Amino acid sequence: MYRKKAWRILGLLMVALLVLLIASGCGGKSATQNNTPSQEKNEGAAATSSKYPEKPITIIVPYAAGGSTDALARAIEKVWTKYCPQPVMIVNKPGAGAVVGREFVKTSKPDGYTLMIGYGSGEDLIGPQLQKVPYDPLKDFTPIARMSIHSTIICVPGNSQFKSMKELIDWAKTSNQPVTASVSTATGNVNITMRGIGKVTGINIVPIPHQGGAQAITDLIGGHAIVGGGSGNEVAPHIQAGRLRPLAVDLPERDPAFPDVPTLKEQGINFYSWGSVKGIAAPAGTPKEVVDYLAGVLKKVSEDPEFKESMKNLNQPILYMGPEEYQKFFKEAYDYFGKLIKDLNITLQ
Amino acid sequence: MGIFEGLFNGFSIALQGYNLLFAFLGCLLGTAIGVLPGLGPAATISLLLPVVYKMSSPATSIIFLAGIYYGSMYGGSTTSILLNLPGEAASVVTAIDGYKMALKGRAGAALGIAAIGSFIAGTIGVIGLSIVAPPLAEFALRFGPPEYFALTLVGLLLAVFLSGSSIVKGLIALLIGLLLASVGLDPITGKVRFAGGIIGLQGGFDFVTLAMGVFGIGEILYSLEQNIKGEIVTTKIGKVFPTIKDFIEAKWAIIRGSLIGFFVGILPGGGAVIASLASYAVEKRCSKKPEEFGQGAICGVAGPESANNAASSASFIPLLTLGIPGNASIAMIFAALMIQGVTPGPFLVKEHADVFWGVIASMYIGNLMLLALNLPLVGLWVQLLKVPFGILAPAVVLFTCVGVYSIANDTFNIYALLFFGLLGYFMRKLDFEPGPLPLAFVLAPIIENSLRQSLLMSGGSMAIFFTRPIAATLFAIFIALVIAQGLQSLRQRKRSKVSPEMSTGEV
Repeated sequence: MYRKKAWRILGLLMVALLVLLIASGCGGKSATQNNTPSQEKNEGAAATSSKYPEKPITIIVPYAAGGSTDALARAIEKVWTKYCPQPVMIVNKPGAGAVVGREFVKTSKPDGYTLMIGYGSGEDLIGPQLQKVPYDPLKDFTPIARMSIHSTIICVPGNSQFKSMKELIDWAKTSNQPVTASVSTATGNVNITMRGIGKVTGINIVPIPHQGGAQAITDLIGGHAIVGGGSGNEVAPHIQAGRLRPLAVDLPERDPAFPDVPTLKEQGINFYSWGSVKGIAAPAGTPKEVVDYLAGVLKKVSEDPEFKESMKNLNQPILYMGPEEYQKFFKEAYDYFGKLIKDLNITLQ
Repeated sequence: MGIFEGLFNGFSIALQGYNLLFAFLGCLLGTAIGVLPGLGPAATISLLLPVVYKMSSPATSIIFLAGIYYGSMYGGSTTSILLNLPGEAASVVTAIDGYKMALKGRAGAALGIAAIGSFIAGTIGVIGLSIVAPPLAEFALRFGPPEYFALTLVGLLLAVFLSGSSIVKGLIALLIGLLLASVGLDPITGKVRFAGGIIGLQGGFDFVTLAMGVFGIGEILYSLEQNIKGEIVTTKIGKVFPTIKDFIEAKWAIIRGSLIGFFVGILPGGGAVIASLASYAVEKRCSKKPEEFGQGAICGVAGPESANNAASSASFIPLLTLGIPGNASIAMIFAALMIQGVTPGPFLVKEHADVFWGVIASMYIGNLMLLALNLPLVGLWVQLLKVPFGILAPAVVLFTCVGVYSIANDTFNIYALLFFGLLGYFMRKLDFEPGPLPLAFVLAPIIENSLRQSLLMSGGSMAIFFTRPIAATLFAIFIALVIAQGLQSLRQRKRSKVSPEMSTGEV
């Protein structure tokens, strides 16, 4: 009698787990159903790349769900099936400072069914130049396309006395006080930008690293640091609410998502950075037809009105680049960061 | 828009058939994942994000996700009590007395009081959310690194007091927890520490893996040695529901827990953990029978469980009013809103009143649903204890492995689980209360970060902890607690061990 009941409960638990598994697969499934009409549209493209793609494509996000890279991946997923007969599955593999996800993609088969998004982030352009990592960002991946760049928007709290970079720098020089700067992490672009500003202007900037952008921004809003910065989607809601005031963007040119925020150079500070580049890559050795096919799909994605709308909501600029161009750009940015790290004497001690 | 007008409007949205259905589905799913070891709300929400993106209205999607989140807080207590498997940091404290109650055949009473306490706390939390959200959120912003350091220090002290019989053993467990937390990336410099070249270690250990190992797997390994103990659990079930007497005993614990949870839960970060710890300490202090704590005191379940549920409602305050996500699950709800073109923050009430009030109203309804869902389930869950140990234990191990694998879709966590299981086994053998270990593990990064950040802010001067009013107040509380505890130990020694009573001092 009791035994029977016990089995029933165990069965119930199993069913609950099954329901969950099915629910998790749901996103992929509904996407599969949607793609019958688009299949016809893509027959031409499919023919050129022999049979690829024959099965769903997995895109690894080496960060936790909910971050800016994850949001970009979801925005791509939303419109992907309009341009490709096979759906994409977004899989988050966070952990070990985004190393786990990269290691996984590096060791995956180079057949075009496992891709990585976020190629060009600090973990590719900055981290490997500071400490040993189990992947070579230049050799272990084949670039497919650049989708966006997350610039660093330098901000002060809404009630701060500073209205421009010049006011901040003049104050620091006359008062001779250290300028505390709330930054996301020690290996992140915000930290490099802040140190770069300190170096070229001669003021004493003290970066205070956090465990990620959200915490750094919260501390800045609370007025616990004089200056700080974050990516567009981190700071935009707070700029809108008047809790943060943007002073500058760290790119060589203005960020298309923040056209009103001047660059550092426009304000007489001779420094720029490449922000956090958000591209898609495959394991090294992926066939060229596959890379070109995927780049073609991503180009169409980048021009899709629905995708543009999502990216506008996320405050991420669309900055598409094809495989060859992106590879060149990646190398340049990598070398530039290497030079910055050397010039600014950045170490992890 | 006034509160009542807003709420009225909110209920008209939340009561629409579609939204009602998704609130129910969210609560149901939340309860299910709360019960399944390892699968937390953050993992589930991330799995469901693609589905949510396809929903037409942002209000519906957030009602659904919020339901999963607070539903999992309800369900989370179930495994803590029945199987000693706390799925998240906030239910570690619940497991301590809850599991002891289950061992004594009072699992039904513990589950029942947890469900009722959660309902009352959830409701108090939502009422607080609708009335005092904006000013409280402003207050939370005044917590910078020095304040977090002082608060977490108090939290660590309270965790030591959990250890019951021996403070020295509590301190040892605490230090092991702190040590384990230091594996991985140095939060300030980003340098890898103590990883020994193993990739899995580079990011540090995962909390859920640690808690499941030290508590659940450790418990199972220990039980393997003791056939008799296993039988006690499987034969004695006792009354399914808490009696009126239980409820009267726990009623103030629930109210106090709710209030503590609500106010501490507003702080992004370790809010819910510190709230459940503080509630446990307060209940032990207020109780007429403090010696029962750690041995299956009903107030030791009711208080902390209420506190962590009130904290889960309160954690929506920084999100909805400031646009600050306080934890991983809330961060994902934040992402879902952003991609649908709704920016959480101070303009939410004005620009998307339907989302703001719709969610709050759905939380009132959701809490009712959860009570209706969970109370009858108590009877069913209790039956789980009738499953013979030989079947239950392997099933628990299996589900736990699936759960920890799903955290990062990586096998490393399964090995880590085994390691922590052995650690938990030896701790039990040597008569250590495991509670302080996972709690110290959770609090360690906050305390390390905030200390180093504070000193960076002040240029190395310790004065920063005493010149800021909130931090100074918290330090005063810390010192008072230490002194109170010291005096009590002295007095006890004089009385030469009349009763091994332990107290936590005033909070």
